[in-house]
Amino acid sequence: MLKVENLGVRYGAVAAVRDLSLSVGQGELVALLGPNGAGKSSTINALTGLVAPSAGRIVLDGQDISRVRTEDRIRAGLTSTPEGRRIFANLTVGENLRLGAATRRDPKGVRQDMERFLALFPVLSERYAQAAGTLSGGEQQMLAIARSLMSRPKLLLLDEPSLGLAPKIVVRIFDFIGQLKAEGLTLLVVEQNARQALRFADRVYVMSSGVLRFDGPPSGLADEHGLLNLYIGG
Amino acid sequence: MARTEVARSEMSQAIENTAPVAATRPGGALARSLIGGLVTSLPVLVVGLLILNFAPTYHTFLALGAFVNLIVVVGLQVFMGNSNIANLGHSAFVGLGAYGVAILSTPLAMKKLSIPNAPFGFATLELDPVSSALLALLAVGILALISGKVISRLSGVAATIVSLALLIIVHSVFLNWTDLFKGNQAFFGIPKVVGLPWMMVMSVVVIVLARLFKDSRWGMQLRASAQSPQAAAALGIDARRLRLMSWVLSALICGLAGVLYAYFAGTISPKLFYFQMIFMTLAMLILGGMATVTGAVTGVIVLSVGLEFIRSIESGVTIAGIQLPQLLGLSGVALGVVIVLCMAFRPSGISGRYELDELLSRFFRHAK
Repeated sequence: MLKVENLGVRYGAVAAVRDLSLSVGQGELVALLGPNGAGKSSTINALTGLVAPSAGRIVLDGQDISRVRTEDRIRAGLTSTPEGRRIFANLTVGENLRLGAATRRDPKGVRQDMERFLALFPVLSERYAQAAGTLSGGEQQMLAIARSLMSRPKLLLLDEPSLGLAPKIVVRIFDFIGQLKAEGLTLLVVEQNARQALRFADRVYVMSSGVLRFDGPPSGLADEHGLLNLYIGG
Repeated sequence: MARTEVARSEMSQAIENTAPVAATRPGGALARSLIGGLVTSLPVLVVGLLILNFAPTYHTFLALGAFVNLIVVVGLQVFMGNSNIANLGHSAFVGLGAYGVAILSTPLAMKKLSIPNAPFGFATLELDPVSSALLALLAVGILALISGKVISRLSGVAATIVSLALLIIVHSVFLNWTDLFKGNQAFFGIPKVVGLPWMMVMSVVVIVLARLFKDSRWGMQLRASAQSPQAAAALGIDARRLRLMSWVLSALICGLAGVLYAYFAGTISPKLFYFQMIFMTLAMLILGGMATVTGAVTGVIVLSVGLEFIRSIESGVTIAGIQLPQLLGLSGVALGVVIVLCMAFRPSGISGRYELDELLSRFFRHAK
């Protein structure tokens, strides 16, 4: 579904991502692991069009989208959930959800999806008219994911969904991510928390210092225990 | 998509929880925001009607000025409240609106006295007030579109500085292009066709318009991108386009205020549309709270009344036999103090985050 070829991202003289190639197949959950500063978020931002790649091609469903605007990438089915949740704290839960559908032009479908997600997340339903900033960290992460789903993505990029959350909450977030996969959504999950990310992953990429270091099944990563320790620290 | 099936099964468990879902019904949002706008303009209508029926002429004249300020502040709120970028240039649009109708609608006999050498045949042109107003607003719109192209690409302080530069440029043109704008001298003889009733109607229209924009998908997306530019960008929200949109709408409302001012005062001069107006309207918006249209209305009412009171003691009054000294400039000081105190102790202003109708419905829900 997604094919990235020789992607490069530069900030001035600094190369954040070098010669990165990866792919995500239909229905797969792929984990992209690596320590802080490995270039994971830069990769995500290049995929969604928030930063312009300095080299390489991004192909979604056979179409080169490297030069396409974020808005149109979302319409094509590629949506991301930004790192650190970044919900709109002063807006209500309902408004946050509606903003997820900013690129859509089918009010009826948007309304149906709203009702679906409110039913799926009773917490969001209860707090529908409340400021999103009053939600707990875990609830905010759920809202952030639900907000992204409002754009009806085929492929969802999750940037560090575990960031700043208590371990128990992280387990619940990943339970939900596993559920999304079971429902047929294709996911690319960027994480530092390897254990959780590997629970549902079909394949794993590991990157550090802007370069891909490992590509294979989660079991392969477990075999190379040294590698896991080296890059992720357990 | 397969996702739907699982979602549906979970949906049946939560099906009782439909109360908030009703809020997503179509049309409901539009009606709510329309009614909200009308509720917000109610205090303005009440004050206007009281003045219309009971106040002496002098107060009517003051009230007209306050209504012009109201429209300016509501216009200012449309940009500042939604984009969260300070605007220090809006009175350029007020001035352009006022000078636009002055140049187009002033009777020829008057023009012979004031701008006999006007270029582009304006010296021999006399249009009716309505066409003049529309053309003046067109000019405002064009200037807003050009300046907005620059401002919408910037954010924060940079955008504010550009807005200030716009003010200075426009003011210099008013002052120095004497053939067209009559320079430092007063431009007189503009037909006085607007009274309090028209001013009230326009105020209501503008308040409702500002509210509709704020609640519209564009307004909401703009507010979201002001809060978290990264998240908004990740959702495909084009913040530049939305900033431009609100800038132009804001400018047109300010331009309308200028048109109305010229049509009720009959005389204008460049200094009316300079820093004094900027600070006055900014203080009103900050005091009332820039996040809401209600805040704009509140700020204008409170500060208009407050400043009038201060002006009355400025010249020295006798209270209970004690003669107070003259305190010239007190109103200017008060304006500054209002901004400072408000920024320090209540940065969200008097009305905070909620519109009047939202406050009322919260109040009644709690009272039940």
